[in-house]
Amino acid sequence: MTPWLRRAFLLLAAVAVAFPYAWVVLASLKDRQALNDPASLGFSPTLDNWREIVDGGVLESALISVVVGTVTVAVALVAGTLGAYAISRYRTGGSATRFGILISQLMPPAVLVVPLFLIAFDLHLRDTVIVIVAAHLTFVLPVVTWFMIGFFDAVPRAYEEQAMVDGHSRFSAFRTVVLPQVLPGLGAAAIFAFVLSWNDLFFGLILAGGNTRTLPVAIASYNTFRGVELGAMSAAILVSVVPVLIASFYVQRRLVRGISAGGLKY
Amino acid sequence: MVPLGLLLGVIVAYPLGYSLWLSLTDRRIVGSKDATFVGLDQYAGLLDNAAYGVAMRNTIVFVVVAVTLELVLGLALAMALQRQRRARDLTRAFLLTPMFVTPIAVGLMFRFLLNEQLGAIPAILDNVGLDIDFFGPTLALPTIIAIDVWQWTPFMVLLLLAGLESLPRQPFEAARVDGASAWMTFRRVTLPLLKPAIGIAVLLRALDAFKVFEYVFATTRGGPGDATETIQYQIYRTGFQFFRIGEAAAMAFVLIAVVLVLATILYRRFLRPEASA
Amino acid sequence: MTLTLAACGGDGDGSTNASTGSADAGAASGTVRVIMEEVPDTDIVKEMLPAFQQAHPDVDVQIEALPYDQMRDRIVSSFLASDPTYDLIVVDNPWMHDFAQAGFLEPLDDRIAAIDGYDHEDFSQPLRDIASVDGTTYAVPFYNYALALVYRKDLYEKAGLEPPTSLEELKAAAAELNEGGRAGIAMQPQKGYKIFEEWANYLFAAGGKIQNDDGSIALDSPEAREALQAYIDIYRESAPKNSLNWAFDEAIRSVSADKASQLISYNWTLPTLNAEGDQAGNFALAEVPGGKAALGAWFWGIPANSANKDGAWAFVSWLTDKAQEKERVIAGGAPVRDSVMQDEEVWEQGFGEEYYTTVARILEDAAPLANGPNAEEMINVVGEQLNAAVAGQTSVDEAISTAAQRAQETLDK
Repeated sequence: MTPWLRRAFLLLAAVAVAFPYAWVVLASLKDRQALNDPASLGFSPTLDNWREIVDGGVLESALISVVVGTVTVAVALVAGTLGAYAISRYRTGGSATRFGILISQLMPPAVLVVPLFLIAFDLHLRDTVIVIVAAHLTFVLPVVTWFMIGFFDAVPRAYEEQAMVDGHSRFSAFRTVVLPQVLPGLGAAAIFAFVLSWNDLFFGLILAGGNTRTLPVAIASYNTFRGVELGAMSAAILVSVVPVLIASFYVQRRLVRGISAGGLKY
Repeated sequence: MVPLGLLLGVIVAYPLGYSLWLSLTDRRIVGSKDATFVGLDQYAGLLDNAAYGVAMRNTIVFVVVAVTLELVLGLALAMALQRQRRARDLTRAFLLTPMFVTPIAVGLMFRFLLNEQLGAIPAILDNVGLDIDFFGPTLALPTIIAIDVWQWTPFMVLLLLAGLESLPRQPFEAARVDGASAWMTFRRVTLPLLKPAIGIAVLLRALDAFKVFEYVFATTRGGPGDATETIQYQIYRTGFQFFRIGEAAAMAFVLIAVVLVLATILYRRFLRPEASA
Repeated sequence: MTLTLAACGGDGDGSTNASTGSADAGAASGTVRVIMEEVPDTDIVKEMLPAFQQAHPDVDVQIEALPYDQMRDRIVSSFLASDPTYDLIVVDNPWMHDFAQAGFLEPLDDRIAAIDGYDHEDFSQPLRDIASVDGTTYAVPFYNYALALVYRKDLYEKAGLEPPTSLEELKAAAAELNEGGRAGIAMQPQKGYKIFEEWANYLFAAGGKIQNDDGSIALDSPEAREALQAYIDIYRESAPKNSLNWAFDEAIRSVSADKASQLISYNWTLPTLNAEGDQAGNFALAEVPGGKAALGAWFWGIPANSANKDGAWAFVSWLTDKAQEKERVIAGGAPVRDSVMQDEEVWEQGFGEEYYTTVARILEDAAPLANGPNAEEMINVVGEQLNAAVAGQTSVDEAISTAAQRAQETLDK
């Protein structure tokens, strides 16, 4: 590809990505009447929509999403990494396990949510963050485990064997020798997992109460019976996108490096 | 291993098991509290269910077309990004953002962007003299595919870019020395080396694409006619709007079976653990 | 949380407050957890809570408001659980039969009868009919969303048109007003619930009906075919281009942005449309052509497993009693009581005589989309065929006969 062609192509892609965002930014600044002509550019901007989402608790929802995401990722990393290590080193269950882990990824949330709701009820955990974390784990844990298996596979056994010869226990060898090697991968998996949790709507819809609304649920709640509140919803969308945009600017380098360091080797 | 097993067991296996049980009953949320065990009746009923067949067909078409488009576009973008020097991080970060917007928001965004009277895109097309019925009978499914492509090509870009950056230089040097053209290099060197990366990317994306729901929910609700009926949407409607949770569970398990078959084929072809780069 | 023992008789003994007719203040106490939809009518109820608190200081009402789908999903999920989640719920009319049959709702006849001056007959007839399943009343009306024709008065006057009273007239009016960048009528052909809700009015205008008195499906008729053909014709001639997936949102925006001249929609959209914007004040309300409209309504229902039935009833009976209902309607709520709709004070302080008298007329002759088991599914099944016909995927004849057949199958499930 010649440089000119390449740049034009990337520019085209950038426009395709930016266009909807631009519209969202404009929409968040329009009042109700101007919104009826979403393509219009000549209007007097208003901050009403932004005020409304602050009053409406969108920022709290964002906070909850952050909490849920963090806890989910933490649990998934711990359990997933340990499990992945075992699968990688001990070949537990063979390739069937590796594959079987992905199955729960497939399960439509609409079906999984009913038993989860009932369990939450019986354990008096309804409307708590714990339930949502558990629900998110159903699709985050497999992905994290899957990734980490790949990373562990890429680290030669010789490393631990050497460490154990030097006197380390299995676990200590794991901690001091293997873990540092897969750290970039760990970071990448963590980020992926966080995004999956951040975006989830379905489980949040059913399992969250008034106080534990996650951000996607808050955004979806602007789709009311009396019409979509475009202005407020656009502001809420920006709340969910802008932090991620900023974060991904710093993180994407690590993400790419992390994945390439071992997640793709089989 | 134990913590993972425990977690997986409780969090995943129990709901899966319960759902399997549900699929063997005629449980309805607003039926009597005691569901009767009807064995495989729900599954048998699905064989007659023409709507389910249509949804399965639509979903498979959706997955195949969307993932293929995302793969091609993603690869092209990844290769372009790899060479890009100026404003590198910014471009990459920006192009990755669509996958971080919750899908329902993306669906609603496009619902209004593509609205004939109120949307920016038809307004622009109008100026060029084009009249496209985005949510009409022929174009509705392609429109949903396009929305998916907008949101998830970045995912492919991410994985493929990582794959590209981890490729060894040597084969490319050799190819250059041998005087291979760009296209030949691509076909004979890049592609084969990228096979594992492509395999993973396609597998992960395809599994996710089978669950397409939010875009349909936000825009067409399965219409016009049954053009955009997808499995996940049907399951939701059957279980939560019609209250027939047993049937919904059966629908889900059939989907899993179908995808398992497809995924096994894909796995065998691209990701055999024995074949290491 | 203790329910006072005196409450077990609980429903307004002799010492009721004669002017309000609500339950005795001392009879109920405790917390009442309510789930409602996130709509303006709910906001109005929330604003009335302090007044209720004064009348019944021992009852603590906690309202959780959620968007429609989420609310329904939670109500549905909670029916499956062993512990009661909510003590009071709102019930959409398609769910009434299924919920009542499943034993989820508490029968209310005795409670209603026990209150002096409650005047249950004052609620519009069609609404009472919906809330009564197999002769037992399971719910009390909250607010209505019957359909009407909302049109641009100024455009009609300029063209010398009167509100249409038949399908032919509607077709002509829409065609006449279809000019420039403004469509003659904004329609909502979205597959499923929306299109059926809109088309039902066409069906009634053509003289057809959805169900017979015994509940069996009466859709397979020449009137239905006539209505569907008219719907398709009007869509092709006068609706905005490429609007096959339009639902409420698009249609309302189109009309308020002056891109369409009228629409068939819920009667309470009139005040909203007239409230602000460039077209404010230009809209008027009329009965749908033919006078018989599709009806939807929300009701108050007490779950059979409610933990505080008396408290819930205290709140409901207070809220739906004549005095409070009047307050609610003046504040902007959609009316359900005939007396309130005829009240001059309401006319003055609310949206004007014309609005309320029109709504009263609409409610006189309105029918729900489905009355019976599996209502939601039946509506969806019919809506799918209707949308397919408008999309040109099936013929009118086939659509109607398939719709009727599938609807009947659904009822029989």
